[in-house]
Amino acid sequence: MTTTENEPVILKTKPVPAGRQMFLLDKTKRRPERFSLLHPQVVSTAGGLRDSLARATKDTLWVSYEKDLTEALLKSVLGPPRSLGKALLIHALNPLSIPVLTSCFKRFASASNKEFLPPDELAEALQAVNSSNLFIGGSVDPTNRTITLWRGNLEPLTVPFSAFEKSGDGIEPNFDRFSVTDSGQTVRFGDYEAAADAILYEFDPEYRRHVSKERRQSERTFGASLRRLRKQRGLRREDFEPKVAAKTIARIEQGLVHRIQKDTLNSIADRLQVRPEEIETY
Amino acid sequence: MPFDLPLSAALRKARWKVKIREKENREPPHVTIIRGTQAWRINLRTGEFMDRHPDPADVPGEIIVHIKTEENWTLLCQQWDEKYPTNPVHEPDDNDGE
Repeated sequence: MTTTENEPVILKTKPVPAGRQMFLLDKTKRRPERFSLLHPQVVSTAGGLRDSLARATKDTLWVSYEKDLTEALLKSVLGPPRSLGKALLIHALNPLSIPVLTSCFKRFASASNKEFLPPDELAEALQAVNSSNLFIGGSVDPTNRTITLWRGNLEPLTVPFSAFEKSGDGIEPNFDRFSVTDSGQTVRFGDYEAAADAILYEFDPEYRRHVSKERRQSERTFGASLRRLRKQRGLRREDFEPKVAAKTIARIEQGLVHRIQKDTLNSIADRLQVRPEEIETY
Repeated sequence: MPFDLPLSAALRKARWKVKIREKENREPPHVTIIRGTQAWRINLRTGEFMDRHPDPADVPGEIIVHIKTEENWTLLCQQWDEKYPTNPVHEPDDNDGE
C-alpha cells in the first residue's frame, strides 16, 4: 500500500448510531464544520435550546463552547430530573453548577478550550471505535499534584504527577504546558509526550487486563507464537528441561533472545512435536 | 521530547507520524507509527509488528521501508537507548546462552 497526497485519509470510526444526536452549543461560524463527523445540530442562541431540550435523550451528546448557553440550558431544565445524555463543556465552569450538571447528565467533562483536543481531532476521537482508550482533554491540579484526563467516553482518570518520570535523555514533564495531541493518543507536558496506552495500562486495571490478554493472543513475534503453542500443548516452561532451561524459554517468549541456537530450536520443536519452522505460524 | 522520525511531505499530509515517546519504559523497545486515532508498534529487537490490531497491512509499505533503512533503524535504536537506558534494544547477552 502506498500513500500519496491525493489519497483520502480513511478514519476508523463507528457510524453515528441511529437515535444518537449531538448538539453543538457554539456561536462561531467555522467551528461546526470541524465537527462534521458527528453531524452536529448547532445551537447558537438561548431560544434554540428549547427545541433541543425537547428532543434530547439519554444518548444525546452536548458539546458547549459557550458558557452563557450552558447556563441557559441548565435554567431551561424544568420538572423532575431526567438524563439529557453526556456533556462536554469546553469553557470555564462555575463550581456551583456541578450539582445540577450531575443531576442532568449521566456524564460530563469540563476544561478550558486549550485543554481539549482541537475540534476536528475531538470529533474523530469521540467517534472512534476505541474512544474509551483515547484522551480528549484534561486538567492539571497543581495543589494536589494530579492530572485528571477525560477519556473519549467522558470517563475521568486521575493520575499523579509522579507517574511521569524523567526519561533517560533528560526530558522532564512541564505540567504548566499540558495538552493532548495525536487525536487523543498522546498526552503532552511541554517537551514530554506520554503515550495514552501507557497511562491507561498503569492506572486502569480493566484496560490492563484486556490489553494483556489481547497482546498475548495477537502478538506476532516468535516468542509470542512459542508461548501460544506451549499453552496449546499444555506444557510448562519447566517441561522443556533438561535440554532447554525454563529461564531460556521465558527469555525467548519475552523477545529477549535475538539468536536462538539451532540445537535449542530443535529441542523446543521436538518437545512441541512440530517442525522448527512451524512454531512461528502459531 | 519525543523522537519524531522525519517523513515525506505526502506522508505527513496524510497524517502519518513515527515516534518514540516518553513513559514507555515498561514495554519492549519499539517505535510507534501513528495516524489519527490508531497506532501500530514495531519491535526494535525483532523488526516485527507487535500487535495484530490494527491491521499492519494498513501501514503504507513506504513507511516500513523508510523505518527499516539501516540509517533510520540505527537512529531509532539509538534514540530508544537514550530514552530508556535500563531497557536497551541490544542487551549485552542477547543469545540464548545454551
